[in-house]
Amino acid sequence: MGSVVVEQLRKDFSGVTVLQNIDLDIKEGEFFALLGPSGCGKTTTMRCIAGFESPTSGTIKIGNKDVAKLAPNERNCGMVFQSYALFPHMNVFDNVAYSLNIKELRKANLFKKIGVYTRMLNSKIVKYPKEIEKKVMDILEYVELTDHAKKLTSELSGGQQQRVALARALVMEPEVLLMDEPLSNLDLKLRHTMRNTIRRIQQDMKITTIFVTHDQEEAMSMADRIAVMKDGEILQIGTPTDLYSNPKTSFIADFVGTSNILPGKVVASENGLTTVKVGNQQIQSVTKTSKEDVQVIIRPENINVLSEGTEDTSNAFEGVIQFATYLGSTVRYDVKVGEHQIVVDTTYESGDSIKKNGSTIKLGVSPERVLII
Amino acid sequence: MNRLKQNFTGIGLVKLLIYGFFLLFLIIPLVSVFLVSFTNEPINVFGSLVSWEQMQISIDQFKNATIDNFKSIFSYGSYFKGLINSLKLSLIVSLWVLVICIPIAYGIARTKMPFKKTISALCTIPLVIPTFISAYAFIIMFGRAGWVTYIYEKLGGEGMLLDPYSMTGIAIVQIFFFFPYALWPMVAAFKISDVSLEEASRNMGSKGWLTFITVTFPLAIPGMLSTALVIFAVSFSDFGTPIILAPSDLNLIVVDAYREIAGFFNWGGAAILTVIMIAVAGVVYWLQNYLLKGKNYDTLSGKPKKIKLSENKALTIPLAIFSGFVVLIPILAMGTVFLQSIATTWGKDPLPSGYTLEHYRTIFTSSLGNIQNSLILAAGALILSVIIATFVSYFVVRQRSTTLDFMTTVPLIVPGIAFGIALIQTFNTAPLQLTGTAFILVIAYSIRRLPYMVRSTVGTMKAIKQDIEEAAVNLGATTLTAAITVIGPLMLPGIAAGSILVFVTVIKETSISILMAPAEWAPMSLAIFQNVMRAEYYSAAAMSVILVVMVLVLQALANKLSGGNKS
Ligand SMILES: Nc1ncnc2c1ncn2[C@@H]1O[C@H](COP(=O)(O)OP(=O)(O)O)[C@@H](O)[C@H]1O
Ligand SMILES: [Mg+2]
Repeated sequence: MGSVVVEQLRKDFSGVTVLQNIDLDIKEGEFFALLGPSGCGKTTTMRCIAGFESPTSGTIKIGNKDVAKLAPNERNCGMVFQSYALFPHMNVFDNVAYSLNIKELRKANLFKKIGVYTRMLNSKIVKYPKEIEKKVMDILEYVELTDHAKKLTSELSGGQQQRVALARALVMEPEVLLMDEPLSNLDLKLRHTMRNTIRRIQQDMKITTIFVTHDQEEAMSMADRIAVMKDGEILQIGTPTDLYSNPKTSFIADFVGTSNILPGKVVASENGLTTVKVGNQQIQSVTKTSKEDVQVIIRPENINVLSEGTEDTSNAFEGVIQFATYLGSTVRYDVKVGEHQIVVDTTYESGDSIKKNGSTIKLGVSPERVLII
Repeated sequence: MNRLKQNFTGIGLVKLLIYGFFLLFLIIPLVSVFLVSFTNEPINVFGSLVSWEQMQISIDQFKNATIDNFKSIFSYGSYFKGLINSLKLSLIVSLWVLVICIPIAYGIARTKMPFKKTISALCTIPLVIPTFISAYAFIIMFGRAGWVTYIYEKLGGEGMLLDPYSMTGIAIVQIFFFFPYALWPMVAAFKISDVSLEEASRNMGSKGWLTFITVTFPLAIPGMLSTALVIFAVSFSDFGTPIILAPSDLNLIVVDAYREIAGFFNWGGAAILTVIMIAVAGVVYWLQNYLLKGKNYDTLSGKPKKIKLSENKALTIPLAIFSGFVVLIPILAMGTVFLQSIATTWGKDPLPSGYTLEHYRTIFTSSLGNIQNSLILAAGALILSVIIATFVSYFVVRQRSTTLDFMTTVPLIVPGIAFGIALIQTFNTAPLQLTGTAFILVIAYSIRRLPYMVRSTVGTMKAIKQDIEEAAVNLGATTLTAAITVIGPLMLPGIAAGSILVFVTVIKETSISILMAPAEWAPMSLAIFQNVMRAEYYSAAAMSVILVVMVLVLQALANKLSGGNKS
């Protein structure tokens, strides 16, 4: 297992820059997610690490070793492709054993080489040695596919194919495991199960993992740290809670979780409190800023519904409910405040009544929960 | 540095080898035959590379180079006559093929003529039969002792109905055996001609036949022109028919070229004829691509409209009779060959005087070697083209190698006899003396048939997703290992279909076999040719029947394989 360090990576495709200033410092055993909208360069970053693209400039180190001179087949990065890329002409066992065959091929003399090649073309003719047999069966047990070892991959369900792809990458004991949107071809329920499976395996094996996704929920729920990418650059790197509570830009605030993002003007700054005018409303925040035109960011769950007759605090305002969505343990209200539309999440306990559309609602937020960018 | 290293390992080496192969056996021979057409003597290309003295000789040869040969072509000598006659023949054949295909294609595409299915099926048979067998069949039908001549005389005719040993004879054989090449494209053209335009014309009161002449037909003209060019090229390159039927006073360029090299060892003469053949074939190929540019009939149809098939008996019955007559001739020809093969003797009578299997027994005792040779040579060519085509399609699809793509279309254009002459000249002397070996024969076969194989393998290669290969490399495989263990096996269906096609066409191959096969490696086609030349018609017939049956069986197998893939 190794760390992955990327410094000043840049990639041009025929003159067009699709990646620049990419710096990553991924620690041994870390589960690291690359998060960003489609087309932002996540796959390209990963392909540079795997060696399928050669960087225009910059360095990539895997386990403290510069890999610039290593061909993709010498890098020992296990990759799980979005399409799984299983070998359709081989059964599950042969798929998983592929890298072990290659390892044997490397040390074999000519005579043995022929044997290994024959086995890779038809494993019925030349048998696997005991060690390979055991290794493959162990990993198959690990991903719960022991019963399917002799099946063709096309006979498996999506989730099972995914696990074959995972097992095939893991069995080579890679320095780093690369996964490109591995869950995007699964249905919702399976996706949740697979999240847990992947996370469990990653923690068990303590394998350095880079996980590419455009789904913030997936990244937030699985990763130790996340790099948020946009237009070929990294905007912010941090733990999920870090990104959630301290987004550096409104793009991240919006992309990571739901946010109310409102434009405003700073009108005062005293006693450690910044006062911002948003519409007709004044909002106070503990965030310090030197700018005048700012954006106020408030998470929906940080807005409290104040009962009638509560004293007006500084950060209280009234709004009209446009729409209520019942989400199980929470209720989401779309509320019109002045000319702005905001979202408010409230916890829901059985017996509570849901407020009617058109009714007026009084809201409040503590200055600690108001972020200014 | 990294790049360099990769180029010199595994797959890079394979690419170099393949480039080397094409350079050695395709490009250098074609260039060298071009040079010989000036120097009049064979140039020892490889000798010049290894020996300084030889280089000096070659340089002297170039100093003495002249354009006399080119002059002689245009000085109305026999070469010029040969070229003109060949062009005339190809023109006649392609025009007549168009004329006879129009009604058949219309019948198949636009009417419910009786026996449509049967007629369509029978129309593929002529393509399976090598032309030298068709030509020979015409001799035993229309020749002095043929049964057609017998009937003709009984009906009061004098002499022969037509002399097979003549330009007309050659043209007729080619027309009746090449028409299917034009039929199917024409059927497609008639199917897609704008039906709504025709309806508009009919609504304006135009009669059916008037609509056909004024609307349907003109719309199909570009398609028909390019089809005519296909026939032109096929007829121009055909060696089997003229070599059997051309009388000695009829100059045809393929036959002249063959005689110059096989009969008189006139290197310069053969070279100039070869250059001209390639030039004509090249121009025809270019014209054909030019005509087809931007006209893809598959996509042109857009939303397929339902064509109303004509049921008018006054139209469909004559069409069916005509079509039946056209397909009957090749079938009668083959029937005649079959009868001859089981005849004790067959003089100038409608039927043989008795029947026997003796000729087959003779073949299986004394000529088994030829069958064996054919199979071994075809298998050799198959293996070679499988290996080359697999890698070529890899380079063409994955690395977008346009050079290799081009290399594999060249053999499609160069007529077989021209390619054979180029090879013979180039490999005539030490240090690379290969002329007269089975080795060069196999190479010639496989290069000539490589385009079929490559077309088939490129198709399957395109269907294999790139990330499957990347997965293998990611798991530690070199590109070469990935090609062998993953890409190769996935391409098997395409390879299988292509292989059978190569095998079949090599067994049928005439020009290369006759020109290049050494006596100890004589394949069936050469044996039949020699038997026909020696007028040993009975054994020629039996051998022909065996050959055709082999081809039919393999072809059916190939159809089944490729049909099975689609479903
Ligand atoms: N081989 C290539 N040639 C040219 N442009 C490419 C190539 N691969 C990716 N790109 C471009 O690079 C950008 C990033 O692509 P990609 O890394 O696949 O994004 P993501 O995986 O985040 O969706 C896109 O704009 C894409 O069009
Ligand atoms: Mg991607």
